[in-house]
Amino acid sequence: MTPNGAIIFAAIVVVGAMLSGDLAGLAALALFSLAFGAIELRGRTLRALAWSAAIMAPLAAFMAIVWIGVVGRSPAEIAAGVPGTRAAALMHVAVICIRLFLIALVIQLVILRFADMTPLAFTRALRAPVVLKKLIALTLSWIDTILHAVDRSRTALITAGVITPRFSVKNTANGWVLVQTVWLSVITIALGRLRDKWPAENTLARLDEALAAPAPPFRRGDGVWIAAAIAAVAAAKVV
Amino acid sequence: MLTTPRLIVIALCAALNFSIGTIVYLIKLPIYLDSIGTILCALLLASDRKVAFVCAWLAATVSTVISILINPFIPWFALTDMTIALVSAFATSTAVAIFRARPMHAGAFVGRVVLYGVLTGIAAGIVSALIVAYVFGGVTGSGSAAIVAFYLRLGFTVETASLLSGLTIEPIDKTLQVLLAALLYRATPRDFLVMLQAPTPAAEAR
Repeated sequence: MTPNGAIIFAAIVVVGAMLSGDLAGLAALALFSLAFGAIELRGRTLRALAWSAAIMAPLAAFMAIVWIGVVGRSPAEIAAGVPGTRAAALMHVAVICIRLFLIALVIQLVILRFADMTPLAFTRALRAPVVLKKLIALTLSWIDTILHAVDRSRTALITAGVITPRFSVKNTANGWVLVQTVWLSVITIALGRLRDKWPAENTLARLDEALAAPAPPFRRGDGVWIAAAIAAVAAAKVV
Repeated sequence: MLTTPRLIVIALCAALNFSIGTIVYLIKLPIYLDSIGTILCALLLASDRKVAFVCAWLAATVSTVISILINPFIPWFALTDMTIALVSAFATSTAVAIFRARPMHAGAFVGRVVLYGVLTGIAAGIVSALIVAYVFGGVTGSGSAAIVAFYLRLGFTVETASLLSGLTIEPIDKTLQVLLAALLYRATPRDFLVMLQAPTPAAEAR
């Protein structure tokens, strides 16, 4: 399977999950996604399941507290102006949570399917304008730079006694100094790279060259999974 | 339009959106703070409003695409990102002279921050309300769930509760974001701002 095929596959399943309004349809799509995971990822499917469960757990908890605990009736019952039941609220929470879990799962399955590719190799394989691929590559690089700048600035400000390592009133008052220090540090790095480092190393031209390579053509596996996803979405609507 | 320095600033602001937004999402604060980079991008490129809009929108879009790795639900708010870029480029960026004035005119600075923060918040709140109601059933993973619960308890429909929650939280959140973006813009060295201006034909010839 190619990255572009996998993205189309995920988009179809996500659209199917949004169109599916009941538990049976969502369950059918979840089973299909698990089958995709079992065939394409094997053991790593468990990691995708665990990640999706972890990302959904706080959201499900919030929804359960709000709908079942506090409100005690479903949106349809509120709209109809009837007293409603907690069972209906539970059903509403279940449908939304399973739908969102399914979306998180299919996205994570696709991410893990290409976990062995570097971010640059994945970006390079996308069928997208070069400028967009370049922006993604540069942003990933800047995220790393910002996180390093946060580490360095935090250590310097703790050493200077401006902020403390743990939560404190001082941090609330001087937290802004940290944000400003990080920004100035990153801007200085940006200026240095643009004026000296990148022109000397010819970095941007090399990046253009790397990203301009044509995306790999669709394979048979892409076609099979995309067709199967369309069939699964149709089946989920019928169920 | 997309000169190298501008591409760098788009990527930088997208990275800023991602870094701050991810921290806030992970520690479940009742605010978002995930658009500081978008607003800052519009301020940095304020000399040309159309360029400011396109670049701010691109910064928001790229950070959204990358955020899928951490939070698979963020892409649903792509339309909200576009709205924030639009308001930042055509409204907030009109105050760049006040944001950079030295010495700072505190009254004018705070007034503009609140005005454009509330404006951005109302626009973002209206656009986000429908997404929150239909995709998330009224409750997202952030701390704003408590406010939605309060309005639902009062008997409002999920759509109205989401809208009211958005209009309660978003103006506060966006005012804070405009404040942070304005302060970062104020702290940005002049050299960097000069570099972002489109190159003149003479400069290109050199």
